[in-house]
Amino acid sequence: MTGGYAGKILRVNLTNKSISTIDTARYEEFGGGFGMGAAIFWDLAVAPGQWDLQDAFDPRNVISLMSGPLAATGAPAAGRTSVCGVASSTYPTDQFYRTNFGGRFATTLKLAGWDGVVLEGNADKPVWINIIDDKVTIEDARSLWGLDTWETQNRIVSMVGGRTRFGEEWQQIGEGYTTARPQIVCIGPVGEARARVAALIHGSGVTGRQGGFGGVFGAKNLKAISVTGTGSIGAADPKGVVDTRIWHVQKFPRIKTVLPGTAACMPCINDDRIRDSYPGGEAMCDDTYWYGVGNKELQMKGAEILMRWGVSSFNSAFGNFKVRAPEAPPPAAKDLPGGEGLGWYVKYLYQIGVLGPGKQIDSSPLPPIDQCDELEFREAFFNAIAKRAGIGDVLAEGTLHAAKRWGRLDQDVQSGALRYPAWGSTYHWNLPSVEWAFGGLLGAGDVVWHVLGALGGKEGHRPYTLDTLLEIMSSKTIPYTGDPYMFSFAWKGEEAKTTGIYSEHKAKLVAWSRHYADFWNESMAFCEWVLATFLKIRSGPVKLKTQESDFSEVMGIDPVKAEPNTDFRGPTPEAELRYYQAVTGNKVTFADTMEVGRKIWNLERTIRVMQGRHRDQEKFYPCMYRPGASQAPELGGRPVYENGKWSWQPLTDMYLDEAGVELFKTNFYKLEGWGVDTGWPTRKTLEGLGLKKIADTMASRGRLGV
Amino acid sequence: MAESKEADDRQRSILRRDFLFGSGVAIAAGALAVPAPVADTLTQMATRSYAASTGYLVYDSRLCLGCQSCMYACSMAHEGVASPSLSRIQIIKDAPSFTKYPYDVAMAVCRQCVTPLCVQNCPTGACHVDEAHGNVRMIDQAKCIGCQRCLAACPQRPHRPVWNPAKRKSAKCNLCADAPFWSQAGGPAGHQACVETCAVKALKLVTEPPAQLDIAGYDVNLALTPALEKLAPKPAVK
Repeated sequence: MTGGYAGKILRVNLTNKSISTIDTARYEEFGGGFGMGAAIFWDLAVAPGQWDLQDAFDPRNVISLMSGPLAATGAPAAGRTSVCGVASSTYPTDQFYRTNFGGRFATTLKLAGWDGVVLEGNADKPVWINIIDDKVTIEDARSLWGLDTWETQNRIVSMVGGRTRFGEEWQQIGEGYTTARPQIVCIGPVGEARARVAALIHGSGVTGRQGGFGGVFGAKNLKAISVTGTGSIGAADPKGVVDTRIWHVQKFPRIKTVLPGTAACMPCINDDRIRDSYPGGEAMCDDTYWYGVGNKELQMKGAEILMRWGVSSFNSAFGNFKVRAPEAPPPAAKDLPGGEGLGWYVKYLYQIGVLGPGKQIDSSPLPPIDQCDELEFREAFFNAIAKRAGIGDVLAEGTLHAAKRWGRLDQDVQSGALRYPAWGSTYHWNLPSVEWAFGGLLGAGDVVWHVLGALGGKEGHRPYTLDTLLEIMSSKTIPYTGDPYMFSFAWKGEEAKTTGIYSEHKAKLVAWSRHYADFWNESMAFCEWVLATFLKIRSGPVKLKTQESDFSEVMGIDPVKAEPNTDFRGPTPEAELRYYQAVTGNKVTFADTMEVGRKIWNLERTIRVMQGRHRDQEKFYPCMYRPGASQAPELGGRPVYENGKWSWQPLTDMYLDEAGVELFKTNFYKLEGWGVDTGWPTRKTLEGLGLKKIADTMASRGRLGV
Repeated sequence: MAESKEADDRQRSILRRDFLFGSGVAIAAGALAVPAPVADTLTQMATRSYAASTGYLVYDSRLCLGCQSCMYACSMAHEGVASPSLSRIQIIKDAPSFTKYPYDVAMAVCRQCVTPLCVQNCPTGACHVDEAHGNVRMIDQAKCIGCQRCLAACPQRPHRPVWNPAKRKSAKCNLCADAPFWSQAGGPAGHQACVETCAVKALKLVTEPPAQLDIAGYDVNLALTPALEKLAPKPAVK
């Protein structure tokens, strides 16, 4: 194999408690991470043809937690754990979907000698998996069942080889030594109840929020996976790895001012987490918006509740985080919840008088709903779900299933009260960033891919011009270079169809983003906050705060002088390829890697087609076709080509058009080589990607596109 | 030559056995006597003074992200593989277990001690003060017999020299004086992989011995203005 891989994947069957090994080399053509996970899912769950792929809680659901070849090499932010399988949180059906999470789990898995963990079956009693280098055991988790995720991890740390004094001791594991604690991913009481809003929790604040995989772990009776690793990962060009890392951080610094109390996953060049938060602070973004925006102490207390109970902030949002949507129709105000979730829906139903003690929808055993912004209420909310008590039993199913059970789904979707763009995912940056909306529609939900936020801007508010931005973007989006219309977000009239958001050009942007994400973010496992990065805003090395800098006084050394920036070109695609080649030794081009991304994108498509996906199902919810669909002009608008001219526009009034979306789908299917009537990949497309066996299986089940 | 190598090996194993099992164990009759230069080292152990290193790593534990990039850079630069277990700088994050900031990250950096107990206790002179590299305290891998006395002698916790179980030798931070996979010139007069890699400049090379009272001299304010200082509590000396 090429460099960077540990060489083997752990396979655990929880039904019969067998532990075996998959040779990573068998799946090397899929890169790593999600690519390998999807291919393994195909082989173990789809190809045998014994399962209808419909129920996330079925023991035949195969869930993998995979790392990539760049994890544990020093490549920054390339240590995310990619999780995939049939998800419990999608709507109306359980879709093949993914989440990922940062922290230290994937890197430690590599150091233990594993490229990933594949989970099959459901255990008959609670268990946890204990990985200590190449020694793997399945342990009884009955004493852990019911504990919150922090106490669970603390107990497991004590169980795995005893508890070393923090920061002072080397722990001997077999022949090797480490100063690190075991790294654990686990579920809390909400996941144990098979709730579709449950997340996977790692450490104090690292979470896999999408997909309800916490509920899937609950169905598998799997409380936790713990890993300790003392080994090493080789690279084809060790010097190249070190040099690339230093080139990256010194030429393209991301951190403007170094602030005390920030943190990062392992290893990274950003400072996206908050060390100075709750104990073991790793708090991050959406979890801190879930409760008490604007008050750090309250934010952290709320985030702690989410983490301990093991719940997705997106799926359980109470709407505390507001965004501006000036065109939003009544009953919404001009400020909308940034993401509507389960908590928000309960508040909404209470406000319109249908939910409460003794009401049409009885809220028992919840405290009075007007206390919903008290910490005690939030804990009681999750306790009701964890115990499936009263309303908790319905809430555990997630917002849309709950709406259906209460007989309100159609009316609340039609009215626009439920702003769920597609497949049951909460609203995120769906519009005006249409590539987000379309990527989610063609996938299975929230793509969580902020990368093209680089397109945002306003004349005079950026150090570069729109022309410069378009030139940079259209030169970097290999293999779809030289087409600036890809970046036009014109949404009205003919322009939208010929050069704008429904056009063939937009289809190329969406294809590029999915292929890139599937390879580089989901399989090489780069965090999307670090790569892709198209632009360089700051110049020079990281500048320590220099206005009244103590630096020179303390050290007798001059502060770093920053150069004025005139080159706005960021590290993508050079950085990705440099890391990849230094680690693996594979002398490929960036276009070659995008082909693997296209292969993985088609693979995940085939899995969903086998689940029953069809063009006719790929429609947005009504809220996307009305004013108010776009949000957050502070995100910066987008470039628009209209009447022969380019300009940045805020696009707060953007909404979609059904005929336009159908045109986009046709353009996209044609570009990707999928049947226009069905949206199913054709034999020619699959064989061209080396997926003949998949094409044969799909043909035998009548699911091949023409 | 084979004969000298055999003699060397025998000598090394005698010394190793002696030091593993403590003095007082009789050396088997017919075995080689302890050679003079080593005996010299042993008798001078308690009385030598050492030239101070011209390079020291200081750090700011409040800025550290806990990302461990330095550990990956260190092991890759020295060993050619990425391995936190072989890294000569250890960033230890209390995760899980959830200590509160600023005590949630411990930075364990070799202090290039003014009186280096690792050097003092090395029976072969493998761990030595290297005059060619600014008096950095360095372990010559060819001379290391794997007795592990340096690990035990290091007064810091966790001990700063690192044990390599595959090679059965110790290694320690030498400020990248001889890192084979490091492109830049290292040592006290050069650049270190960890310092260059750090995204928040939480590590810094200085040329004078920091204040020697516990960690206080090594865990310093590297960047903070008075305004930012208010955001960052001073870690108590632990």
